Amino acid sequence: MALKVFSIPALPRVNNGAARLLPVATTLLAAVISVLPLQIPGYAALTPVFTLMAAYHWTIYRPDLLPPLALFIIGLTEDLLAGSPIGVNAMLLLLTRIAVLGHRRYFVNRNFPFVWTGFTLLAAAAMFGLWGLHCVIDLSLLDFRNAIIRAALTIAIFPLASFMLGRAQRAVMGAG
Amino acid sequence: MIRLSPQMRAAIQRTMLPLLILLSGAIIVLGKADQLLFDSLRTTVSDGVAPVLDAVAQPLNAVGNVVDRAKMAVLTYQENVRLETENEKLLHWQQTALNLDAENKELRGLLKAVPDAALSYVTARVIANSGGAFVRMILIDAGTENRVARGQAAITGEGLVGRLTEVGDRAARVLLITDLNSRIPVTIESTHAPAVLAGDNSERPRLLYLPSSDAVKIGDRVVTSGEGGVFPPRLPVGVVASIDSTGPRIEPYVELSQLGYVLVVDYGLSRSLPQPLPPLARTGRRSKAEAADGVTH
Repeated sequence: MALKVFSIPALPRVNNGAARLLPVATTLLAAVISVLPLQIPGYAALTPVFTLMAAYHWTIYRPDLLPPLALFIIGLTEDLLAGSPIGVNAMLLLLTRIAVLGHRRYFVNRNFPFVWTGFTLLAAAAMFGLWGLHCVIDLSLLDFRNAIIRAALTIAIFPLASFMLGRAQRAVMGAG
Repeated sequence: MIRLSPQMRAAIQRTMLPLLILLSGAIIVLGKADQLLFDSLRTTVSDGVAPVLDAVAQPLNAVGNVVDRAKMAVLTYQENVRLETENEKLLHWQQTALNLDAENKELRGLLKAVPDAALSYVTARVIANSGGAFVRMILIDAGTENRVARGQAAITGEGLVGRLTEVGDRAARVLLITDLNSRIPVTIESTHAPAVLAGDNSERPRLLYLPSSDAVKIGDRVVTSGEGGVFPPRLPVGVVASIDSTGPRIEPYVELSQLGYVLVVDYGLSRSLPQPLPPLARTGRRSKAEAADGVTH
């Protein structure tokens, strides 16, 4: 699986420190943004999964700069901050990496709607997985409706997140 | 950074990913089996990040205030009319309250009733939300440094918000009354029927263990019972909003998704709350057992 990754267009080398840190920094920022207490009615329960967007974006475009260990630590940090069962987000981000790396060649150098469709599938699967996992952890059947709305919000906001991450990527790393 | 051959790197990446996934799985299971295991890690991280979140939460509050002010400016006239009528009503209530207070004091004197323990409050800013569909928690910027303690009640002017579950030096986590694991001993104000308010992650928590199904009707006020001695009695919680097949549900007085500040109530008895319990025989259900603790003690 991993060899396939390195056989698709070789990733341009990045030597500048800021550029090397960009994927980790933005994903960590996404984790912090997701716990910000925005005073919007009902927002807390429906907060989009910002780290999923960042992990998806960077795993497609720069999987080398967002290694599994970084995903693991960021996921754990998010769990610790949010008060969710510890390990859940870490696992989600790592599974995202597996899912995306396996299909990365379909996404690189494709137009945005294609990438967005991929994310839609991923977000739906992720939310279903999260729901299942939380049901097991809480030993009860949890309400699925919030998860659906949350998935929809996550999918809807992805273009904006992707645009901003792409801009940051071009600004800091140059074209690539 | 150590330079590795591409093959080596690929090999490391190949093993790293499954290894970390297994590790996450193990952490989830461990964290579930023994919820105290990661508590200190959680409080350390919360404490460490609290100043950052605090700094970010401040401008967020400021933005909220600006929006509120703009709204006020636009709606001044209507608002004024509404407030005037409300004020009239409230003045009437004030008289009633003063009369009742005087009468209450007199009767208490006659009964030689034990006075309620004095309350003291710590005001704290909400610095983080749980951000997810499956947990209802907030992080506040008060900790042991501000003399808040585990088990204390968090309230706003409107009513009960939740209970402090983890307390670090600078930050504390509040389990909201809507969380799946929240269990609060309450009473129905009109009938004094005891019940347990149980969250289920929806916006309207349920009332459990009512003595009889006709003990409540829609519109009844629900207040804390003070049973367990951790929460002060008679904190307003909400009103009974619906009664369906799953039992009565209450609408909390506090808009829990729009919290900016909360008050932490020190009832003077929280020291009596047992500190984190040793792992129970019923592994895996600790948090519920602990939440129910407030009822049984």
